[in-house]
Amino acid sequence: MGKTVLIVDDSASIRQVVSMTLNGAGYDTIQACDGKDALSKLNGNRIHLVISDVNMPNMDGITLLKELKARPDTRFTPVIMLTTESESAKKEEGRAAGAKAWVVKPFVPQQLLAAVGKLIMP
Amino acid sequence: MNMDAALQTFFSESRELLEQMESLLLQLETLDEASRQESLHGIFRAAHTIKGSAGMFGLDDVVNFTHAVESVLDRLRNRQLSVSDALVSLLLQCRDHIAQLVDSAEAGNHDSTIVKAGQPLLAALQSYLVAGAAAETQAPALPVSEPPPFERLDSDDVASSECWHISIRFGHNCFRDGMDPLSFITYLKHLGDVISIIPLAEFLPTVSEFDSESCYLAFGIQLASSASKQEIEDVFEFVREDSILHIIPPRSRLQEFVDLIEAMPQVDQLLGQMLVTSGALTENELQRALQLQQQRSSSHQPLGEIISSTNAGIQPVLQAALDKQGKVRDTLVKEQKSLRVDAEKLDKLINLVGELVTAGAGTSLLADNLGDSALNESVSVLNSLLEAVRDAALELRMIPIGATFSRFQRVVRDIAHELDKEIELVINGAETELDKSVIEKIGDPLTHLVRNAIDHGIESPAVRAAAGKAEKGTIILNAYHDSGNIVIEVSDDGKGLDPELIRAKAIEKQLVDENAVLSREEILNLILEPGFSTAEKVSNLSGRGVGMDVVKRNIAELRGRVEIISQVGQGSTMRIILPLTLAIIDGFVIGVADEQFVVPLDAVLECLELKQQPDNPFDAPYFNLRGQVLPLIYLRHCLGVEGRYPARQNVVVVQSGGVSAGLVVDCLLGEFQTVIKPLGKLFSKVGCISGSTILGNGSVALILDIHGLINTMTESEPQLLQ
Repeated sequence: MGKTVLIVDDSASIRQVVSMTLNGAGYDTIQACDGKDALSKLNGNRIHLVISDVNMPNMDGITLLKELKARPDTRFTPVIMLTTESESAKKEEGRAAGAKAWVVKPFVPQQLLAAVGKLIMP
Repeated sequence: MNMDAALQTFFSESRELLEQMESLLLQLETLDEASRQESLHGIFRAAHTIKGSAGMFGLDDVVNFTHAVESVLDRLRNRQLSVSDALVSLLLQCRDHIAQLVDSAEAGNHDSTIVKAGQPLLAALQSYLVAGAAAETQAPALPVSEPPPFERLDSDDVASSECWHISIRFGHNCFRDGMDPLSFITYLKHLGDVISIIPLAEFLPTVSEFDSESCYLAFGIQLASSASKQEIEDVFEFVREDSILHIIPPRSRLQEFVDLIEAMPQVDQLLGQMLVTSGALTENELQRALQLQQQRSSSHQPLGEIISSTNAGIQPVLQAALDKQGKVRDTLVKEQKSLRVDAEKLDKLINLVGELVTAGAGTSLLADNLGDSALNESVSVLNSLLEAVRDAALELRMIPIGATFSRFQRVVRDIAHELDKEIELVINGAETELDKSVIEKIGDPLTHLVRNAIDHGIESPAVRAAAGKAEKGTIILNAYHDSGNIVIEVSDDGKGLDPELIRAKAIEKQLVDENAVLSREEILNLILEPGFSTAEKVSNLSGRGVGMDVVKRNIAELRGRVEIISQVGQGSTMRIILPLTLAIIDGFVIGVADEQFVVPLDAVLECLELKQQPDNPFDAPYFNLRGQVLPLIYLRHCLGVEGRYPARQNVVVVQSGGVSAGLVVDCLLGEFQTVIKPLGKLFSKVGCISGSTILGNGSVALILDIHGLINTMTESEPQLLQ
């Protein structure tokens, strides 16, 4: 059985492309449109990796990261943050919250796949 | 993977976001502070999402434009800008433009007019960004993996025994950060073959200290890969910060780094920068070494030492970089040893030396007349010193022509590229020194000649190949000293000048009479005539001609001349001949009747007595010089000097431009340091006089122009010199 990646982004098209990219590489995916949605979709699912946007309505990526780190079932789950170059302040905040993996937007699917490949095997 | 479906989602999503953006923008001004901030966040997010998604689909036009909008919105929501009517209407226009860009992307055509229509908007946005936001206004290009700065020639054939050695010790927090060490090592396989992995146990703590959630893993990995050091380091990018990572390149790579460093341009670079550019050191490793250096600033440890202590195996590359740096700095130091002096001061010095030389000549003449041996002795010492001072003063103004020549590398490259020709520029005699004022004025004519050589001289590769020549044409710039002159040559191995075509063209332009008898040289020289060719349409002629008369005039202003040597099909040489110096020369004084003249000493080969012999009648136009025919120029006749014939005459053998001739004079008066005084405009048409000087006794002597003299003679007796 493949590994499951939770994709959190408020843009449906980004979710769709990321999902298709990962599916093509043999990962299973779950989509969530913001941090709150993501947390609700965690229940009952074994998640191997979370890919999350930073800037989202309702609950942003940094808060989501903190929430994930606080939950026993997800505290060891790797998280890739999607960010833009211009958000250097946000990046610092993310770093403090324990974010290690970053992919800078805009990215091409191949870049994302490389980042995912470094963290988990399909 | 079916991108189309996702793209459709993007289009409808973008439209939704744009509508949302519009309504938020419209109510922006009516809102109170708190809800306004809320709206601004919403607007920003909409732009942000459109940009992010568009980037993923490679819609660069949308990304670039939206980026600028986003930057302004970012400043707005951070309260660096305040909401104004003008700004809101600008943003609304921008929104419409984004919608247009999205529509055009959906229609599948890349319409540059739409992009262009966005320019004024971009400029307007820019005005809101100027203060302190410069760094963000650059649209982010789609991140593409950058090619290495130098081509890697042998990246494919890394010998199997030649491996990268990677030593990685993961940080203690690795697991807590959600990182799996195994996945990184697995990922290494994408770059090449993992030959061996050796776990390093020395970092394991004792059982009592062991924390089950901490990571104590460390590995030594052998990797056979053609990837660059940076690529290997990037595999570990997510754990790089907390881990200790050493990447030791294979031996063959070290040589490659050394080669790359040696091939770098001769610019003073920082040591670390050179190592990073060559690929021997990654940016991260450099930053670490620099931090270490800062920490140990008290001990002043050189960066090189730190790098070599933290990066095993790098020594040979480091040495090469240090050598290179040393070499570059040496040349820089050499350059810095020179002193900038106002050219006017130099000119003043040369003038004074000139006066001194004239005064010195007067003094030695006086001393001679007095016959006091002690005084003579002292004057001769003074004169030899004076000569040394003169040479030193003149040398101050001399600079090598090399810098002027090497400028043409670029000219040749650019023009050749433009004309689709392959041309190599060869530079000879770059060390030849010229007077500074000459160098300044020679640039334009030289450029002209080089351009002509490229444009009209060198043929296209196809034509060259058909003519059995190498496809790559050659242009040679050459400079050398030749009997008191500087010769600068521009040669090409192109098609050469066709005398027949030039003649026909000259007749058509009414420069010569149809029936004129012209030597080959004279015909070639026609291209230097004003009016021979105007800038348009010369390519149908096999020669040059674009403003060659300008070249001739420029060179004439420097008291020089232009010669043309050309062989149809084999190429042409444009030869510029200039006097070595413009101020003071070594002269040789000769006397004809009561007049005295100066011949530039560099042009004098030897002096002989003109004997009356049976095979050598007194007024014969030639002379038997050890079996060679030497044409004679009787200065008395040539310059119209009247007066009694002396008991015997002398021949001064002179040479100019490879042609020798004998000047028949009355007496030889010896060497004389000649300060050249220009002649007035009145004498500009006199062909065989190039200037005047003041002799020791205060009288004026004319300086003979040997080339002019020989030419005058050739015109009247052309057969003698053939």
